[in-house]
Amino acid sequence: MQLFIGGACAGKRDAVKARFPSAVWWRLSPGQRLHEATHIMQPSVPLVLHGVFEWLAAVQSLDISSDVLRAQWRGDLESLESAAQTHEVTLVIIMNELGRGIVPMARDQRRLRDLSGWFSQDTASQSEQVWHVRHGLVQAVK
Amino acid sequence: MIVFVSGGARSGKSQVAEQRVLSAAGDANCYYIATASVYDVEMADRVSRHQARREGQWVTLEAPLAIDQAIAQVPDHHAVLLDCLTLWAGQVLFGAEPNEEFSDEQGLALLAHCLRDAQARGLTLVIVSNDLNEELIPNQPATWRYVEFIQCLHRWLAAEADSVLEVIAGCAMEWKR
Repeated sequence: MQLFIGGACAGKRDAVKARFPSAVWWRLSPGQRLHEATHIMQPSVPLVLHGVFEWLAAVQSLDISSDVLRAQWRGDLESLESAAQTHEVTLVIIMNELGRGIVPMARDQRRLRDLSGWFSQDTASQSEQVWHVRHGLVQAVK
Repeated sequence: MIVFVSGGARSGKSQVAEQRVLSAAGDANCYYIATASVYDVEMADRVSRHQARREGQWVTLEAPLAIDQAIAQVPDHHAVLLDCLTLWAGQVLFGAEPNEEFSDEQGLALLAHCLRDAQARGLTLVIVSNDLNEELIPNQPATWRYVEFIQCLHRWLAAEADSVLEVIAGCAMEWKR
């Protein structure tokens, strides 16, 4: 698994397209679970997962604790990675870095920022490679 | 030689950029293109702090919008610092003066013209900007437009520059050289 992380409009999608031109792209939509991407895996074709920020923005409003959501995410990542290994698929996940500003006043914004940071850490932890995308340039951080 | 220096607020990016310009200039004059418009006391204080650091060989050119005209005043093969792109981008989109707004395309074209002029005349052009896209972006349309525009400039500049530096706590990290 590879994680591409960067700020808004940093050039993340272009960086991934340049490296995985034949990949299948799947947007995680509100209401879906990450492991559902297993169904569109094609043998040996890289799979790019994106839309995590919008998905998180919808999820954070639900009455589910952050710990439960995080455990669910980690479990889904493991399921997905297991399926990817079976099908020899390189998994690529695109996520947003949005933790470098002032702590938001609004509770929902704080929760969104916290969840995003935790989910990114969990994804990075399970990834073999992590790339920071900044102004269209890409640097390995793991 | 084009150098792009960015970082967070008070990260020391201006000092890093000034040192790059001084190194390139040697004993010759250095040019400073100031894009700030002074509109309140805090801004005046901010500008005076920057000015106090620059003495002797620095020549200041004020250009809230017309950075192309400012660059044109720099003699061939000299070193020039443009500080900063963030303020300039805001003035491009929202106007330093009434009826002075430009489109995104016009703004990018103006910056591109500056780079081409600098490259053609052998200038060392160091451009400073703020990193402001790695946080929760307020969802007001005008803010989003600004972030999209400044990131368009940053991506283009990073691709064109010979050197790209990120400054953290006064330390410069090379992203491209």
